[in-house]
Amino acid sequence: MSIKSSAITPEKVYKRRRVLMAAGAGVLGVPLINKAYGLFQDKQEVEAPFPQVVSLPGEKNQPLIPTPYETITTYNNYYEFGVGKDDPSKAAKTLTTSPWSVDIGGEGSDKPGRYDIADIKGESAIENHIYRFRCVEAWSMVIPWNGIKLSDVIKFALPNSKAKYVRFTTINDPQQMPNAGWAGGPYVEGLTIEEAMNPLTLLSTGIYDKPLEQQNGAPIRLVVPWKYGFKYAKSIVKIELVEKMPKNTWWLQNKREYGFYANVNPQFSHPRWTQATERVIGELGRKPTLLYNGYAQEVAHLYPDLDNRLYFY
Amino acid sequence: MGLRWLPLATQRHLMNTGLCLLLILGSFEAIMGPDLVSNLRDFTGTYGAYLLVASLLFTPLSHRFKWVKRNLWMRRNIGVWGFIYAAAHLVIWIVLEFYFDWALMLDEIKGNLFILLGIFAFFLLVPMALTSNNRAVKFLSFRKWQLLHCLTYLAIPSVIAHHFMAQKTAESEPLFMGLVLILVFIWRYRHVH
Ligand code: HEM
Repeated sequence: MSIKSSAITPEKVYKRRRVLMAAGAGVLGVPLINKAYGLFQDKQEVEAPFPQVVSLPGEKNQPLIPTPYETITTYNNYYEFGVGKDDPSKAAKTLTTSPWSVDIGGEGSDKPGRYDIADIKGESAIENHIYRFRCVEAWSMVIPWNGIKLSDVIKFALPNSKAKYVRFTTINDPQQMPNAGWAGGPYVEGLTIEEAMNPLTLLSTGIYDKPLEQQNGAPIRLVVPWKYGFKYAKSIVKIELVEKMPKNTWWLQNKREYGFYANVNPQFSHPRWTQATERVIGELGRKPTLLYNGYAQEVAHLYPDLDNRLYFY
Repeated sequence: MGLRWLPLATQRHLMNTGLCLLLILGSFEAIMGPDLVSNLRDFTGTYGAYLLVASLLFTPLSHRFKWVKRNLWMRRNIGVWGFIYAAAHLVIWIVLEFYFDWALMLDEIKGNLFILLGIFAFFLLVPMALTSNNRAVKFLSFRKWQLLHCLTYLAIPSVIAHHFMAQKTAESEPLFMGLVLILVFIWRYRHVH
């Protein structure tokens, strides 16, 4: 069988998958396994407080069912607390998240200062958004976030003409974080100002109406649903409006594998992981990955060139 | 150890049963986590690598420790079980991670050196696993059999490189295993010369 892998489109992958699933899974009784596995997973169907704000193309009739809280809070990448997925939930309790203040500044802000978390939260109403969360490692979850619009916080900082990018810095305290030194400095992420002002972009303070737990980035973390998860800076202590593109941590770690934009795109495979499809945590099987993680309508206008790999790694 | 009074065949069975139970119980624990696919894959991969490295240690240690020398037969069982764990790891990758979607697997492998090293190592292990019985030794003649089994010295370094590169950042465990491997190679070199 010779298939040019360059010719793979998500649609083809999807169709192939269906055929192969039917063949392979039927034999193996995968549906049965899936069902049995579901018994362990006790899915919570939250409806009322979480309007499905964004409906994803191709999934109009298929509501996003949030991943169980237990899974969201025990399957984490937060390297400052260890590199295993189960390390952060075990190790992160040592992080004190109250009191907490965030330095807002940078040359692009006309109103820099240190703000208490309560003041920041007070800047706008807490919103509820159920977003799909897509990790660069080719898995996904569905997370019911509570948070405020990042744009409200940026407006509050009075951006001037120098505010071209936003730079986020995570707390980095070896006293509170056993693996704080892994990146040789604090975790840094960044967005363009247009990305930061997009109404989908949140500063999250909670999940499932509960305050964030440390392993999820308490007390305040970034949420940018059309990008891979490593963009979602956690436990933020500094937000700067800057003129130059920030050097984000994973890009500094490995420039071949991680970029600045990191927009989800099934066509551009990461050197380690094909991005054509994803594993949904808690389910067996794979789902096709959607361009911009399904949020193309809201964000595609931000990127002029769909064929430019720059935007997608 | 205290099991010397048992017939050798029984000791062997005990060891095989133990390693089989470890595989089963470890898999049970792995599927209780939030993501059974990556847990199973990493459990079988990690323990497969431990067993394969352990199998390399028998020869050098047998020159030092009487107990190891007396139980040199374990090397074969441990090596074969290392292969079985690695095979489970590969099956999990094909079945649970990619659902037999060969085109997608091809896309994943393309330009992915760490997976290529894993596959390379696995295929080197196959002929060794198949010839890990007395009949094969007789059939091949000991010299040829021994020559074939020199492939471990290519396969196991590939496993360690695979393990190291499978991580997103440098981690100490595969580095430590690499160090052990280097010591084995130094011993080999000195022992031959
Ligand atoms: C001799 C055979 C092999 C051994 C002993 C082995 C061992 C390992 C080890 C120790 C890890 C690291 C686990 C961890 O991070 O906890 C690993 C990861 C992995 N291996 Fe293997 N491996 C072998 C062959 C293969 C083959 C043939 C494939 C696929 C075709 C494969 C695919 C993977 C994948 C996908 C990962 C996970 C990387 C990640 O965390 O994203 N391995 N393997």
